[in-house]
Amino acid sequence: MSTGKPARTLVIGIGNPLQSDDGLGVQASLMLENENLPAHVQVEELGTPGWGLLARMDGWPRVYVIDAVQMGQPPGTWQRFNQDEVSLVSQSGPVSLHEAGLAESLELANTLGIMPEEFVLYGVEPAVIEPGENLSPAVLQALPGLVEHIVEDLWKGT
Amino acid sequence: MSTRIDVHHVTRVEGHGNIVVEVADGKMTECRFDVVETPRFFEAMLRGRPYEEASHITSRICGICATGHATTSLRASEKALGIQPSEQTVLLRKLSFHGEILDSHVLHVYMLIAPDFLGVGSVIPLAKSHPEVVLRALRMKKLAGDICAAVTGRHTHPIAMTVGGFTHFPKGKELEELRKRLVASREDVDATVELSATLPWPQFERDTEYVSLHRTDEYAFIDGDIVSTDGAQVPAEDYRQVTNEYLVPHSSAKWTRNRRDSLMVGALARFNNNYSQLHPRAKAAATALGIQPKITNPYLNTAAQVVEIVHCVEDAIVVIDQLLERGVRPEEPVAPTKAAGEGVGVCEVPRGLLIHHYWIGEDGKISGANCIIPTNQNIANLEADMQSLVPQIVEKPAKDMQLDLEMLVRAYDPCISCSVHLAKLERS
Repeated sequence: MSTGKPARTLVIGIGNPLQSDDGLGVQASLMLENENLPAHVQVEELGTPGWGLLARMDGWPRVYVIDAVQMGQPPGTWQRFNQDEVSLVSQSGPVSLHEAGLAESLELANTLGIMPEEFVLYGVEPAVIEPGENLSPAVLQALPGLVEHIVEDLWKGT
Repeated sequence: MSTRIDVHHVTRVEGHGNIVVEVADGKMTECRFDVVETPRFFEAMLRGRPYEEASHITSRICGICATGHATTSLRASEKALGIQPSEQTVLLRKLSFHGEILDSHVLHVYMLIAPDFLGVGSVIPLAKSHPEVVLRALRMKKLAGDICAAVTGRHTHPIAMTVGGFTHFPKGKELEELRKRLVASREDVDATVELSATLPWPQFERDTEYVSLHRTDEYAFIDGDIVSTDGAQVPAEDYRQVTNEYLVPHSSAKWTRNRRDSLMVGALARFNNNYSQLHPRAKAAATALGIQPKITNPYLNTAAQVVEIVHCVEDAIVVIDQLLERGVRPEEPVAPTKAAGEGVGVCEVPRGLLIHHYWIGEDGKISGANCIIPTNQNIANLEADMQSLVPQIVEKPAKDMQLDLEMLVRAYDPCISCSVHLAKLERS
């Protein structure tokens, strides 16, 4: 996309691992930490940060978020949203499962003009959101492909 | 003529709660606060797990009180296994606690309460009309989160806190940097007090029993006796004498009561019980806000939180100075002195008294757990407040009544998703 130094990138996994598939973002970020990643990339699992996400994104020119997103797709389906697409989704209703949610956090960041220069959301359709510590088979099966794709994106610097 | 107020899922509180109020011919005929969250079975999740995992599991209950749950969990295990943490551990835990209280109170005051007073529906329009106010809140939140991360090794959910100590230690340089930022944040803290002093808190009084921890040596957040404004004082182990949990049909959370029909925990209870131990700057903030103990207006719970914001920033500076003076050294966690036992951990988390009670077997696994969360303890009191408030505001238009009631619920800062635990409802 550009020449010179790649933008420092924060990859954040979000969700509650005590609520089954809600924890898929956390699991994906743990998988990413074991991958070979460019030096300008930091991976972090934030659990359920609520509005804390905004404070955490501050100062990072590029932020990738992985989260469970209800998209009305078959469980395990994942999709990459860029910033414009995310704001479109957030206007039509909550995209995230989290109460002080991702959608509201992004809306607030947009309102205040403090969004990172580049923001990408990797949303995965969950199958089961209820107390439990295991991911559903559909989500488990989908995660390696998602992680591989994110690694490619990070090396491409897209 | 009858008016019915039925607020499903009060906004800007964590989790789900419903207000149901009915007024017919100027008289209140119904007034309830329903909790409708799906029960979270975290006590059951703990059973059969190694005690070392308990703090990590319970810290996932909530992203707001993660350090509070983790610390309370660690204290329960440590008491069960005869572990006395080191002075350094005690200081580090205190510092992370100040970070979390600060984080949570800033969230509540700015993102959840301020929109009511500034006449906007939520923080989004507030960000349009008063961007500097919201940016200030985010600056303070960021500092609070960074304090927790420096001490506990990770943002949101601590990773480096363990039974008997820590597995990661902040560097002197990090602490010095945080100290600088805390000192610089006094400007934001002062602005928070100034803003809060201008807010027209609703006038409403209802005395109740205010319950909190108390320590002789400091404003209690971790460990201490359980005390009340009605004269109760029991060691942590005897918590059941104060909490007396019981069930009601319209709530999936357990209720509590002690010497009256209800009791209140949280910032206001701490303020009422432990005012004399606040930092002088926090006392000055209380004066600026016009509050002195004993306060019996539940709306002022938020004002007490503002006082605690000042206290936590100031005491965090004190604690960092103590850590820097003695130097932070990596140390092994203190080992158990016995293999099995029973222990009760108590902490004052942002919303009030949190209790974890564990039974640990010879195999190192938890055989039983009881967790009592602040919001549980407050629900009976909140409903009693509503029942006392409604007749006083019954002449108001329904819309205004609803706002008064919603603001009352929000003043308690309830975390309902966390308050629901293993309630067994038996309907005959």
